[in-house]
Amino acid sequence: MTPRADEAVIVAVDLVPGHDGTTELLVRLRHPNGAEGPVVLDEETGLRLMNNCGAASLGDLVGQSWRRIVEGS
Amino acid sequence: MSLSRQRRFVTPGPDETVEALALRALPDQAVETAVDAIRSWNLHIFAMRKPAGLLLGSDVVFVEPPVS
Amino acid sequence: MFDLIVRDGLVVDGSGAKAFRGDVAVKDGKIVAVGQVSGDARRIIDAGGRVVAPGFIDPHTHFDVQLLWDGAARPALEHGVTCVVPGNCSLSLAPLKAGDRRQVVGMFQQIEEMPPEAFTQAFEWTWEDFAGYRAAIETGLSINVAPLVGHSVIRLWVMGPAAQQRAATPAEIVAMQDLLRECLAAGAVGLSTSFVDTDENGRPVPSRFAQFEELDALCAVLGEFDRMLQCVPEFYATDITIARIDQLAELSLKYGITTTFSPVFDNAGTPENVPRIMARVEEQFARGAKVWPQMQTRPLDLSFSFLRPSLYFARLPRWSRVLRQAPEIVLHALRDPETVAKMVADAGPDGGDKMLGRLICRGGDAAPAAMVGRTLRDIAAERGQGCAQALIDISLENGLDVAFLDADIGHDNTDRIGPMLAHPLVHIGASDGGAHLASFSTYGDTGYLFSEFVRKGGHMSLEQAVAKITGETADIWGLKDRGRLQAGLAADIVVFDPDTIAREAELPTFDMPGDGMRYVRAATGIDTVLVNGQVAYANGAYTEARSGVVCV
Repeated sequence: MTPRADEAVIVAVDLVPGHDGTTELLVRLRHPNGAEGPVVLDEETGLRLMNNCGAASLGDLVGQSWRRIVEGS
Repeated sequence: MSLSRQRRFVTPGPDETVEALALRALPDQAVETAVDAIRSWNLHIFAMRKPAGLLLGSDVVFVEPPVS
Repeated sequence: MFDLIVRDGLVVDGSGAKAFRGDVAVKDGKIVAVGQVSGDARRIIDAGGRVVAPGFIDPHTHFDVQLLWDGAARPALEHGVTCVVPGNCSLSLAPLKAGDRRQVVGMFQQIEEMPPEAFTQAFEWTWEDFAGYRAAIETGLSINVAPLVGHSVIRLWVMGPAAQQRAATPAEIVAMQDLLRECLAAGAVGLSTSFVDTDENGRPVPSRFAQFEELDALCAVLGEFDRMLQCVPEFYATDITIARIDQLAELSLKYGITTTFSPVFDNAGTPENVPRIMARVEEQFARGAKVWPQMQTRPLDLSFSFLRPSLYFARLPRWSRVLRQAPEIVLHALRDPETVAKMVADAGPDGGDKMLGRLICRGGDAAPAAMVGRTLRDIAAERGQGCAQALIDISLENGLDVAFLDADIGHDNTDRIGPMLAHPLVHIGASDGGAHLASFSTYGDTGYLFSEFVRKGGHMSLEQAVAKITGETADIWGLKDRGRLQAGLAADIVVFDPDTIAREAELPTFDMPGDGMRYVRAATGIDTVLVNGQVAYANGAYTEARSGVVCV
């Protein structure tokens, strides 16, 4: 699924520790207005995103639409 | 000291749907477009909430993208 | 004749003032003299070469349940903590109708990870109202308790099941206000609310169903009593935290109350988080609002086992693909030599030593006792294997039920966090003592403050560090009788060695009801702890003193 030009896309991804000892996914989104903002996804949501995107590694998430994050939630 | 500009948000009214909230927050947009925008700016609600899509009275719902 | 004199110590009085050599005299549970004290006492504690400080105050705990059978909130007391604040994050054990107990137990288990036996065998439910809960814990306290009352349980009392379904009616809000008044009159130090917690089914806790108007109405009552509001905001994005800061500031200004939120973390992936939060906090304080961010001293650790899908290996495609599966598929894959050989190769030419060697076998599960607390590097060497191969084999040999810890992975940059903790508007706290029992230890943050940020990093003087967790904490929470070594105040005193005070390594213990497991850390360098003038801990052992009180 190629993101549309007018929607938020993932531009960076990293792993971060959650306050409860789990591994969480830090996703940085670039919005159509050019602004970027980070969102930390809990482990369950992060795993679902990787599955949604068929991602083998974190780098595979870059360029994906924000819609993949809410898919199947 | 004056407060610096931060990202604007609203809180949902009792039983308010995302469609109603989107129309309230973004009255100049078509409802589908407005809902889409609200969802993309509020992944803490629309990606991680159980049950999915449940709007809560205490929610912070952003009505604009991050301030650049 | 004094009851007790702590003699010849380095007095750090909790005000931030320069330390001096002197004595502290105690009578009838109060401090009666500080300085060069002459006269006799029934007991002398020699504090030569030691610091004499006010007992530490831990403002964010979940000891609500444990206090019913352990009045010392072990191991908090042995770390020098003489006052704990339970009831955080919208959850307390009162007011709670008998018919609602099961529901609230589920929420507590979600946060505390306490075994079910803790709620069925360890104590008798003798109360429904807040005064009843206070009476239930007061009989056996060795530590002082300043309990919050939880917004979620107030809601549940008034609304029943609807508390987790809808907004409150005006009449229900009035009933909640009346109930909060009753709790505050019975000794609650304030109200806690949560914007993030869920029950055991993942459903938001009742406080999250409240409209802002409901919280506003409850804060009006806090204003009547000059009491505190605590909240836990969403951790997901700085913008959300800033929105919560603004809401708290509005309530603080409107009702003249003090508010606090926690936790606040500094991670490498979001370096702008704390600076942005603190910039907003400074703006709001400048307007007169009191919105205290709580920051913990200890770093964040990660833990995982192959039993549960985890993102831990998301940087290694082959490992990630295998370990995202259900346990039976993981087992099948790890029994395939070809798959394992590729995974091991992916871990690096050193067999995974650099990538995995630092992992610590946690224990508390199916891990062989001989491995617990040791590094994977050490265990692998003993087995004559590389680290990656050993990790896979150990997991396979134990049904995948072996947890590993990757320590100090976040909130771990001492040179960034030291100045943050020293910031005059940062409230040191957020320990979560009594919670996350089966995930990690929440004890010893005070020792870590001294070992890491006073001795090692030099970011704070001894006097500043003591003030942060005593006098300043007491001021923020309105605990007028605590937090300083000053004549007339309660004799909560800790005697410690400034050169060695620290936390020890995290270890599993099985001291919860039903032989339930939790992770704890012992203390180093704490000699003596006095609670309201009585020795509650000395020479490495708890005493029979039961001098703790519910304090506001």
